[in-house]
Amino acid sequence: MSILDQRKLIESIHPFELLSSNELDSLMKKIDIAYYAKDTLLISKNLPSIVFYIIIKGSVQEFKGDEVHNVYSFGDFFDADALIYGTTEGRFVVEEELICYEIKKEDFLELMLNKKIQGYFLEDFISRHKQLKYQDVASDLTPFLMSKVSEIFLHAACVASADATIFDALKKQEELKANVIIVQNQDDYMIVTDSDLRKKVLLGRVSVEAQISEIATKGLITIDVNDFLFNALLIMTHNAIKRLVVMDGKKILGVLEQLDLLSYFANHSHLVAVQIDKAKNVDDLKKLQGDLKNLIVTLRAKGVKVRYITKLVSTLNLKIYKKVFDMCVPTSLQESCTLLVMGSEGREEQTIKTDQDNALVVKDGVDLELFVEPMTQLNSFLLELGFPPCSGDVMVSNAYWRRDVKGFKALINEWTGSMSDESAQNLSIFLDAKCVAGNRTLLDELKSYLFDNFHARDDVLAHIAKAILNFETPLSLFSGFVLEKNHSNKLDLKKGGTFPIVHGVRTLSLQYGINETNTIERIKALNNLGVIDKTFASELIESFDTLSAIRLKAMLKAKELQESNYINPQELSKVQRDLLKDSFKIINKFKKFMSFHFHLNMVV
Amino acid sequence: MFSFISYFLQKRNHAKLKESEFDFLFEQDVSDEYIVFDTETTGLNPKVDEILSIGAVKIKDNKILTSQTFEIFVKNSKEISSKSIEIHGIRACDVQDAVCAKDAIKEFLRFIGSRTLVGYYLEFDVSMINKYTTSILGIKLPNKMIEVSELYYDAQIPIIPQGNIDLRFDTMLKKYNIPNMGMHNAVNDAVMTAMIFLKLSQKGEKKR
Repeated sequence: MSILDQRKLIESIHPFELLSSNELDSLMKKIDIAYYAKDTLLISKNLPSIVFYIIIKGSVQEFKGDEVHNVYSFGDFFDADALIYGTTEGRFVVEEELICYEIKKEDFLELMLNKKIQGYFLEDFISRHKQLKYQDVASDLTPFLMSKVSEIFLHAACVASADATIFDALKKQEELKANVIIVQNQDDYMIVTDSDLRKKVLLGRVSVEAQISEIATKGLITIDVNDFLFNALLIMTHNAIKRLVVMDGKKILGVLEQLDLLSYFANHSHLVAVQIDKAKNVDDLKKLQGDLKNLIVTLRAKGVKVRYITKLVSTLNLKIYKKVFDMCVPTSLQESCTLLVMGSEGREEQTIKTDQDNALVVKDGVDLELFVEPMTQLNSFLLELGFPPCSGDVMVSNAYWRRDVKGFKALINEWTGSMSDESAQNLSIFLDAKCVAGNRTLLDELKSYLFDNFHARDDVLAHIAKAILNFETPLSLFSGFVLEKNHSNKLDLKKGGTFPIVHGVRTLSLQYGINETNTIERIKALNNLGVIDKTFASELIESFDTLSAIRLKAMLKAKELQESNYINPQELSKVQRDLLKDSFKIINKFKKFMSFHFHLNMVV
Repeated sequence: MFSFISYFLQKRNHAKLKESEFDFLFEQDVSDEYIVFDTETTGLNPKVDEILSIGAVKIKDNKILTSQTFEIFVKNSKEISSKSIEIHGIRACDVQDAVCAKDAIKEFLRFIGSRTLVGYYLEFDVSMINKYTTSILGIKLPNKMIEVSELYYDAQIPIIPQGNIDLRFDTMLKKYNIPNMGMHNAVNDAVMTAMIFLKLSQKGEKKR
């Protein structure tokens, strides 16, 4: 391969793009290509590293003990630590026939004299993670600026024929609630704005019975529906106008208002919140669904951390819950009950609507029957608003999740006593409960009952915690994806990634009586109590954030609000794959911590 | 018997050598290295066509020593036909820093020494080179040669005993999952051929 092509490849790999052109040139003269058959041992404790490998094709597994610690494939490199420190604990074995670049040890160490490169390889996990993440976001902004006109809300266009009277045209405009009137004269279009009306009809004394074409201005400024929103903004600024007529070929689709455009670009969460408050019925709420999605896209593109986005969206969803609750439950009953959301909603970690997991707690002594109808209605409203039903029927429409305080206490006793998987699962769901409407004290009472019940019940806790070991961390599965090209091998981010963290942290919170429901808040609380140290806490939070971000991105890419736990690592950028791998490493560390903490190896 | 004939032919070839500076071509090779090379030419007829560029890389054990890549552009007497430009992508302006054929060939010979040559349809490339060496030095390349498509044929024939084996370069690349190294030029092709050679000779076997 000519030096130029090699150069391009090396340059595309972070952090080598940081090298100057001269440095790259001299580096290129030191690189060889090597070929290794499957199962070749490249580096181990007794086989010190002599070169730095950059993979062109194939894959390599790094073992620590008997466990696969990492998998390297195209564009990955290893192992800087082994070269810098001259020793390694890992074993690097060729998993799939390997073609790679090799930079000799001396040359690599010379390269390390460059501050930027050095910084990259020496930085610890967290800061490296942050640096990568920053890059990732920067590359994300571009597609956002590339949004098309077709993606934004358009106002209905009021089109009047040229011979219509001004009066009729105005009537039509009023009906359509349009801001302008577009006048059609065969194939030609003209426009009548409010200022035309003011100047020509009110001040110019043109009769309202005159033809509309008399007061219309020629030269309609339009934009094609497939054009970029960015261009729309440019055209408006350039012509000093506030709206554009959107065309699909020769057909008028609607009117794009400057205000909508600006709010599309800006964070308009406030707007959505106000609209939720103003909603009078379910239909009003329904109209807001599209805004919610735009909000996620906008915030994400702005580089807002996923944990803040999820929090915001959860808050807005809770507002919707509260609104629906107000619509369904008579005011007289509202103080005698409390509506709970559980699962990911309770943890405030849903970015887009996940299954409804909700429950109702009723004050002791109040007739439960009174709530049957309101709850059934609440449930159906939520369905209408696009909150998917819970497959496990954990919903207020189910009598199991609609009890008085006594009833829930009995349920807690049952869960504590039984060791069945179902109990453990229900308990886990309930642990994330958060009050959204009604009388908050009812939940507080149940929570403290729960914590008292679990005091010193480490046997049951271990049993619950065990679930985090149910699924392997997909680091090996990851390599499977490298091997099995004919399978559309995907990765379950939830099972392999988020679940162990969420569930592990939840169980620890139950043990230490932590009231928070949000995973990150729980991790912070655990850190404050000294259960986990600060570094580990930040590592966990960063990992959790990474997993959520990748998941969110995958979902947004799918262009629908479907919750999906699967991602194809092949579709991820190199940076993201690195982040994902690092996160999985932290998850393995966390699993080890949990096993030790709860003596899980002794739990059957 | 055979070895005697080849020894005899080799000796006769050596006797024709005009410049003693190139005696090393006939020495025993002790470098344990291979040379993979490829040429880009103005056409497919060694009698009339000329070399435009030569690309070569060394192989040692399981490594392609791209750090010692050889690439040279050769000055030509004729205009480059537009048809061949489509194939090799070498335009007239690319051969501006080209050297004259005599220097290029000598440079090449110094690079390869007496190492074994490896190539794909090597016969063609070698006869192109020979055309120059005969006129400049009076000899033909004396190096040992390994034809990659033959190795490939031998590897495939137990799998498809009766079949016609597709010996096209691209087929081999695909078969052995060799990464495409960008556009076709002498060095790229040499590197890709080297990869096929490494796979076929299993030089990566359990050796670091």
